[in-house]
Amino acid sequence: MKDPLIDKKLPLFIPHSSISTAVNKTGSWRFFHPKYEEKTAPCSAACPVGQDIPGIEMLASRGQLKDAWQIILEENPFPAVCGRVCFHPCESACNRASMDEPIAIHHIERFLGDTALNEQTMADFDIKPPTGKKIAIVGAGPAGLAAAYFITRLGYECDVFEAAPEPGGLLRRGIPAYRLPRDILEHEIARIENAGVRIHCKSPVNECSLENLKKGYDGLFVGCGYGRSFILNIEGEEFASDGLEFLNRLGVGERISYFGTAAVIGGGNTAIDVARSLARLGAAPLIVYRRRIQDMPAFEPEVAMAAGEGVRIMELVAPIRIRETNGDSSSSVPGYELTLQKMKVSKKEISGRARVIPDGNDTETIAVQNIFVAIGTVAEDLWQFPDSQETKSLQLGHCRFFDQKTPLIYGGDLTNPLKSVTDAIASGKQAAMALDTYFEHGADAIEAKLADCRVGAGPALSMAVYLGKDRKNRTAHIVNYDEIVSDYFQPAARNIPSTIDAGQRIRSFTEIESTLDNNAAKEEADRCFNCGICASCDYCRLYCPEMAVMVDKARRSIDMDFCKGCGVCATECPRNAMALEEEIL
Amino acid sequence: MKKVLEGSQAVSEAARLAKVQVIAAYPITPQTHIVEALSQYCSDGTLNARFINVESEHSAMAAVIGAASGGARAFTASSSHGLAYMHELLHWASAARLPIVMAEVNRALGPGWNIWTDQTDSLSQRDTGWIQLYCEDGQEALDTTLQAFRLAEAVNLPVMVVLDAFYLSHTFEPIDVPDQEMVDRFLPPPAPRIRMDTADPCAVNQLVTPAAYMEMRYNTQLAMEEAQRRLVLIEKEFDTIFNRTHGLVEAIHCEDAEIIMVTTGTVTGTCREVLADLRSQGEKVGLFKLKLFRPFPADLIRRHLKSAPKIAVIDRNISFGAGGIFAQEIRAALCNPDPHPQVFGYVAGLGGRDITPDTLVEIYNRTKNDPAPAEETIWIGLNQETIESWRN
Repeated sequence: MKDPLIDKKLPLFIPHSSISTAVNKTGSWRFFHPKYEEKTAPCSAACPVGQDIPGIEMLASRGQLKDAWQIILEENPFPAVCGRVCFHPCESACNRASMDEPIAIHHIERFLGDTALNEQTMADFDIKPPTGKKIAIVGAGPAGLAAAYFITRLGYECDVFEAAPEPGGLLRRGIPAYRLPRDILEHEIARIENAGVRIHCKSPVNECSLENLKKGYDGLFVGCGYGRSFILNIEGEEFASDGLEFLNRLGVGERISYFGTAAVIGGGNTAIDVARSLARLGAAPLIVYRRRIQDMPAFEPEVAMAAGEGVRIMELVAPIRIRETNGDSSSSVPGYELTLQKMKVSKKEISGRARVIPDGNDTETIAVQNIFVAIGTVAEDLWQFPDSQETKSLQLGHCRFFDQKTPLIYGGDLTNPLKSVTDAIASGKQAAMALDTYFEHGADAIEAKLADCRVGAGPALSMAVYLGKDRKNRTAHIVNYDEIVSDYFQPAARNIPSTIDAGQRIRSFTEIESTLDNNAAKEEADRCFNCGICASCDYCRLYCPEMAVMVDKARRSIDMDFCKGCGVCATECPRNAMALEEEIL
Repeated sequence: MKKVLEGSQAVSEAARLAKVQVIAAYPITPQTHIVEALSQYCSDGTLNARFINVESEHSAMAAVIGAASGGARAFTASSSHGLAYMHELLHWASAARLPIVMAEVNRALGPGWNIWTDQTDSLSQRDTGWIQLYCEDGQEALDTTLQAFRLAEAVNLPVMVVLDAFYLSHTFEPIDVPDQEMVDRFLPPPAPRIRMDTADPCAVNQLVTPAAYMEMRYNTQLAMEEAQRRLVLIEKEFDTIFNRTHGLVEAIHCEDAEIIMVTTGTVTGTCREVLADLRSQGEKVGLFKLKLFRPFPADLIRRHLKSAPKIAVIDRNISFGAGGIFAQEIRAALCNPDPHPQVFGYVAGLGGRDITPDTLVEIYNRTKNDPAPAEETIWIGLNQETIESWRN
């Protein structure tokens, strides 16, 4: 019944070829060529120690937690500490803020640090062959310990001399346990010691013993910090306690009970720490600050947390007199009366900061039970001031190098423009690079070598770059949000860990913030754009119309025989890890 | 089994029975019901086909081109601006010799924005190399869709099954929906001659130089001409299985007619009534239904029309500056024989305006009363008041 004529084949003449199109070398059409060109993420450039944050987040998002942690250790021996105490300028620079909220970088850093501690992960230190040289370090604070850690990794023997009975410096003496639990600090210091650093506690260095160290060692790093507090120079000063000394006593485990109003004079981070500690010990803290709240050098989140814990702040008042009293009306215990001069903002500014001047003779006297002073610190001894007049010295970003018979570097708070834990670590790292360069190539090579190790254009330096690792191939160009192909990213809320509420937290020195859990940390890390680095997303290969992108062991390259230079790969790269270059014929 | 279905559903039923494997479409009134039903069939498992959602008709056609290049039986549907948007790919589908079937529901092009019937959309695609079949009613739409797959695959050319908007697409009629087993006998699974396969890599449709392009076009022309002959055979086979046939063209009372009215689409149904009335009044009138427009059946047109003195062609379309498209083509097909009929070209029913029995009687009377066409194109039913208003 079927009519075979219906389906009788007609001649079909259409273009058809089974010859491989590989003969058509489309690369000959090219005027532009794409290339893999990793760039600098804004977070890394903003980080005082130049952490490879996009790389850390990429590995963390994939669950490669140890690898991510090792990347931190490359640039910073204190992940769990910095995850807690760093003021995270990285997050302010984060491109993700232009889409929704910045990545919770410090929470992820803390998560990685804590995970390694909980799982007792052993760090794989790459330590260079011994140079046979010995370096002495004065001070076992963040600067000194960081210097020792990096110098040891560069193949030097290292001795750290610390005056206190235990290492840690300001990390132990200055930062309250509710921000940095002691066991976390101790574990991270132990890891530095495991790398081969020798720490000698109760071994104070003075001007005289420093000269001996110069004889016994090939190089010196002085990072002893500021040991002496500024004083008020007012009547009744002797009735006030030193805030830093108070924190120091808490740090070594002392617990004293307080009641009534405790005045804390100052507006920096120490003043905030003192006030918040006092709140935990039963006092009603009152910060007395001569400028306005917005002028306080303390980090803003800390000020907000303090306010949440009931710390009151009096602004624009300067103490002029302290007198003993019989105590205020509600108390039978003797206390003090603190007389304050009212201040006002003058129209003049000093280096961008509002200048305040006395507001006539207007004063106010308040009754308090205790008074603490935290108005800043300064080096304890004259020899600890680096001599800025010395001609045979170099001012580096975070250090000052003295080209003496035994090279000497001052670092940490003694030289840092910004006095933070992370800046102290940065100075230790810079000192290590400077000393190593000095021994390898001489003093004249230091500046150029350090410039090569910059992360972006800023002062942050990378040890990975110094050691010639892949990171050295990244350009200094800082990726901005416009260079991110945001279509590839979905808005997602920032993952942050729980905190103890204010009512609960002032009852003890228990740490306020918790650590992100595993899933939240990975999810948060996955929000990262990984600005400027290849995350192996493979869009370049998927979009290439000539199939010219080749992958070998997760490394991508372009087959120039077939790349016709259309630029789709570079345009589609979600994170600007590629570039398009014109070919000059 | 007889069912009461609208014309759109008749087409979807046919696509379902044809066991299409890939459907890609973008909705547009008045076509939407066709693919709506098919998407339902895909989702509920009635039809084992891949329904590809696309963002435009251009992509819909690209997707079915891809599917057909892989050897799949592919179907789409569109109307008006949607069809216009497919334009360049319509050329591609035919030159690549892909047996795609598309249902095209005639709708006017804007502006003025208008969703009602008008043939200018499908006739604008006249030269794209697609076979075009204009349907009169729901049963013909169903049957023609089944035949379209058979024809497309026999000659490796795409087929457009054309339906009037609303008069056909949205009108419910009793329609015989054949059993799957009968359809399977008529329409075997595809045996594609073009079937790209990753296991046997090849390039198709690449550069063709002047040295071969013309032969390629001639090859397509031969296939188009062959399509007419194959459709005759297909109709015969269809008849033996389903006991129904529609013809490539249909000539009623043309042998002795003084005037033959030429129609396409649903106007034919109206004209059948008018023809019966006029015949009963003793008028020597005939009706010629043109179903196959591409390939153009010039031989059939000459055979049935050449001996009548007058031909009245009703065009629901307009080629601006020339006139109705069917009239032009029929006039051209008849101009060589000597003597040949006077061809009266009437433009009527644009943008969904009704063509009533009265309209057709008016056309008949004008043709009868005028010894020769007063104008190349005669517009029927224009509102004179509106036209007068322009002059003021």
